[in-house]
Amino acid sequence: MIEVSNLTKDYGTVVAVRDLSFSVGKGEIVGFLGPNGAGKSTTLRILAGFLGATSGHVRIAGHDIAAAPLAARRALGYMPESAPLYPELRVSEYLLFRARLKEVPRAKQNAAIGSAMDRAGVAHMAGTVIGHLSKGYRQRVALADALVSDPPLLILDEPTAGLDPNQIREVRALIKDLSGERTVLLSTHILSEVEATCERALVIDRGQLVAEGTIAELRARPNSSAVSVRVRDPNAGAEAAIARISGLTLRRASTDDAALGRRTLQIALTDGLDPEATVEALVRALTEAGIGIHALWPEQASLEQVFSALTAHEKAALGAAEPGGHT
Amino acid sequence: MNGFLAIYRREVLSLWVTPLAWVLLTVFLLLQGAIFYSIITHFASMAEVSVDTGPVQAYFGQESIFLLMTLLLVCPALSMRVFAEERRSGTIEALLTAPVRAVSVVLGKYAALLTTYSLIWLPTLLYVVILRKTGVVDWGVVGSSYLGLLGIGAAYLSLGTLMSAMTKSQLVALLLTIFLEFGLFILGVGEYIFDPGVFRDLCAHVSMMGQMEDFSKGILDLRRVVFDGSVTILGLFVTTRVVDSWRWG
Repeated sequence: MIEVSNLTKDYGTVVAVRDLSFSVGKGEIVGFLGPNGAGKSTTLRILAGFLGATSGHVRIAGHDIAAAPLAARRALGYMPESAPLYPELRVSEYLLFRARLKEVPRAKQNAAIGSAMDRAGVAHMAGTVIGHLSKGYRQRVALADALVSDPPLLILDEPTAGLDPNQIREVRALIKDLSGERTVLLSTHILSEVEATCERALVIDRGQLVAEGTIAELRARPNSSAVSVRVRDPNAGAEAAIARISGLTLRRASTDDAALGRRTLQIALTDGLDPEATVEALVRALTEAGIGIHALWPEQASLEQVFSALTAHEKAALGAAEPGGHT
Repeated sequence: MNGFLAIYRREVLSLWVTPLAWVLLTVFLLLQGAIFYSIITHFASMAEVSVDTGPVQAYFGQESIFLLMTLLLVCPALSMRVFAEERRSGTIEALLTAPVRAVSVVLGKYAALLTTYSLIWLPTLLYVVILRKTGVVDWGVVGSSYLGLLGIGAAYLSLGTLMSAMTKSQLVALLLTIFLEFGLFILGVGEYIFDPGVFRDLCAHVSMMGQMEDFSKGILDLRRVVFDGSVTILGLFVTTRVVDSWRWG
């Protein structure tokens, strides 16, 4: 459905996308993951035909976007980041405009708008002026716009940005619901979003693809998992207890209440060891040292940590397979 | 063609559901009413009126400077938001990722501006109806006068569309357009200033006042039509290239 080969976008002062190649098959839901400024939006804008590539080729549904831009754009529904809309129009007026623009046949326009509004959950807002809608509803109107021509491919740039948790769940459910006949490429900087909705993820950093694979494959990569414990430890004996267990490194310790001896410790688990067993050993060691455990929770690996792990891994692989053994 | 019609309808709707078109319409009609009233009062106080002059000719022709001054405000204000606002708010991204050509986008927007401009002029037909109650009106002259105004509006709005595509700020677009169109207007005034020669001929050729004077006498000078048409087409052509160039920014 999407074939990208050696895509580069050079803004003159910065290279936003560098020699990017990937493909997305029919019916796949793919997450496009990366920190802010990684080149996600630039790449999606190029795919949607809003920006031109400096070099490289993109084919959308078999149409080269440079040679047959209109055919390529007909095949896709694109939702830009931050969902820009005309504030002076009513939701139904806006969607009618978009349906006409996207060449939905006149006889099917009303049905197409109705079903797009139903799917995006804005049917009850059809007569509301867009300028009066909340951010979440505007986001959904933009989603309805992407769906209105019933395209085989959806490109969604941060579809859940600015939504509250309930709305995020709804949008994710909608995206899941679309799977099957439709191909979806969505960008995000939230790791759990990809886990919740996508079958496969592309990880991009500084304009380059650093990892690609199913969620399980990405999970199997080395990552830095950690746990935090809140303890009552008036004598500061936790450091010694932790040091006795192999596979644990104290990352950070803070004192919450010196008088009561309350402290919070963040402890990194070494990769490759069984995390469950290590945590069990940790709890036992702390208890035996007479330290009271108030709470214990897993630290979410932040995207930055996953990234640093991924980029470090790629560099190591490069170094091992010199010269040019990087695939 | 589909894209053109969709954009045209959206643009007209947006212009008339926001205050801009109504504010311009009100200001414009107040000014035109004042101009028309003073011309009528002037003619009413005259003992004799020569054959080739009358309120209609004065309004569209000899005194056209007033009318053109209002256009120098109304046209730039009408066209300032047409691209600048889309680029500032980001809606341009949704627009240009739809299966539509840049030329359809430009023409659809421009046609909506020209329609609105014509609608703003429509109520002034009442002046002619009022005059008809008290005398004879030459409908041919009225027709050619409005044609002259359409030509000037077409050229001004085309330049305004181009300026609006050059910047993300409506204010900058407005100022650039006023500057450009005022310059063009002043160049036309040169007809009455310079000695006979090539430069005076050039000034006379581009003179908006000269154009209205000709058209208000019923003279449909093809050179005037060609000039208005050239400015319009050039402006729209460059705008289309500018819109295409955004992909490479």
